[in-house]
Amino acid sequence: MSAIKKFEKPIGMRDTFPGIYEKIERAKRIGREVFRSRGFDFIETPTLEYYDTVGKASAISDASLFKLVDSQGNTLVLRPDMTTPITRVATSKLLKEKIPLRLAYAANVFRAQQMEGGRPAEFGQMGIEIIGDKTVFADAEVLITAIELMKEFGIESFKLTIGHAGVLHDILNDYTDHEEQREILRTLLVERNYVGFEEAVHEFGLPATKANALLEFISEATNLASIEDMEKYVRKNDGIEYMKQLSKLINAYGLSQYVSFDFTLSSHMNYYTGMLFEIFASGSGFPLGNGGRYDGLLHLFGSDVGATGFSIRIDRLLEVLPKEELKEETVCVLFDDEDFIKALELASTLRRQGARVTVQSKRGLINKEAFTKLFSRVVDLSQEETQ
Amino acid sequence: MSSELTIAMPKGRIFEEAYQMLIEAGFKLPEEVEMSRKLMIEIPEENIRFILAKPMDVPVYVEHGVADIGIAGKDVLMEQQRNVHELLDLKISKCHIASAGLPNTEMDEIAPRIATKYPNIAMNYYKGIGEQVEIIELNGSVELAPMIGLADRIVDIVSTGRTLKENGLVEYEHIADVSSRLIANPVSYRMKNERIQEIVSRLKKVVK
Repeated sequence: MSAIKKFEKPIGMRDTFPGIYEKIERAKRIGREVFRSRGFDFIETPTLEYYDTVGKASAISDASLFKLVDSQGNTLVLRPDMTTPITRVATSKLLKEKIPLRLAYAANVFRAQQMEGGRPAEFGQMGIEIIGDKTVFADAEVLITAIELMKEFGIESFKLTIGHAGVLHDILNDYTDHEEQREILRTLLVERNYVGFEEAVHEFGLPATKANALLEFISEATNLASIEDMEKYVRKNDGIEYMKQLSKLINAYGLSQYVSFDFTLSSHMNYYTGMLFEIFASGSGFPLGNGGRYDGLLHLFGSDVGATGFSIRIDRLLEVLPKEELKEETVCVLFDDEDFIKALELASTLRRQGARVTVQSKRGLINKEAFTKLFSRVVDLSQEETQ
Repeated sequence: MSSELTIAMPKGRIFEEAYQMLIEAGFKLPEEVEMSRKLMIEIPEENIRFILAKPMDVPVYVEHGVADIGIAGKDVLMEQQRNVHELLDLKISKCHIASAGLPNTEMDEIAPRIATKYPNIAMNYYKGIGEQVEIIELNGSVELAPMIGLADRIVDIVSTGRTLKENGLVEYEHIADVSSRLIANPVSYRMKNERIQEIVSRLKKVVK
């Protein structure tokens, strides 16, 4: 191990420089307006949580958790997601005051990286949760909010891919011989390894009817023409019916061009129980965000009122946001020692007109030219003229 | 007009085979491509762009979305664990990953040393069978390692077994089958789904 250099940061940690900072703030502001206008209330939860509660419930793999020990010897984690802490607050307190709850957040989460550098271990997430409403309308509201948010950001080319954890679970369950096989197949679908899926189905030595059904399901579901096509693979139709209703609601509101259905969609977040979705946008190689119904997580916290929500990653959002020139006037007022008060007065007049004004003593500058180049306008009081 | 599709192809032998498959699948591609030093080939008739990369780098381009789809060996995919979708087994460049060593030798009891170009595959394999080993990463000529006493075993690609034989090594354990796979970037898979599905179904018909 080489010694840590003075300027080094822990693996996956990043500095946010002024230019990026402003972009993040702008994105958060848009998100805040969209969410608040739809009746969501913002909350904040602590950065540290107990490992035994939030850490274990979070569905983020153990190896990705930052763990530390408090002075009483309890294991703590840096929050790896926001949904789990919000579920904790909601089930312990907020649901007693209001149900259904509509909550929103914009916060940083922490996931330790094992892979090469470049992947952030701390990143911003923003999202919403609707807790205590089990109807399809709550899921529709989540999807519509996600779509409206994308539009509000000015992102033109994006897509929500929607699946259903329950339907997939039933299909995998019905056509395999035991739980272990089902989990293997599910994991392969999380990785979207269709080749591995087909190989696994052959290797299991399932009865031909089951194996064929699984293979047909995969090929039909990845080229889905209509939700009805999935009916023949399930015994109970309620999950499919639910998705049909959801699709109908999205269509009725004229947003169908933004969504597509994929019943092979599966998430490593195993607390999703119903519909789940991922958000993709051209410009980033990685999904922007994801969401879904997570009644299962509520169960872990002893509640059965149901919940649904989504979140997007702010770092990935920055890659796809339309480039926008920051239109603000930055003025530098240069003064000699005796003009200090004059400089302050001029600056405050200019600030009232909406400019960002830097007041700088000429004597404090090492390289006047290099410094003043960074401003859109420079006022040198000794020359009493604008350059 | 649909948007352009970028395909990352591995340079060398796999390129030829994969390229032939695309032609068989009915894509209008020039019969001969000059494989000189070009790293990018535009095919305007099909609205396709090929980028030529080292086989180990194909999943990198695809994961980051600068290539929408690509052709990569299963060995590379297993080694790198990248976030890409594995859509189709092209069943070309077939071979397997195996452990090999000098004939009639036992692995060192304390900490057997394994030389390999695939440290992750080797580590996962030996972890899986409960064997504690020391992995020595080499960049080539792995067969040398047992011969000069650097390692007890090697973990490497075996296609015909000739290289092993010529160096006096024998295969011990079969670890995994390898062939070339069609992979896709998760976002491209959604945003350019129709085009990618079309390529998958056309290629599926010519997989032998």
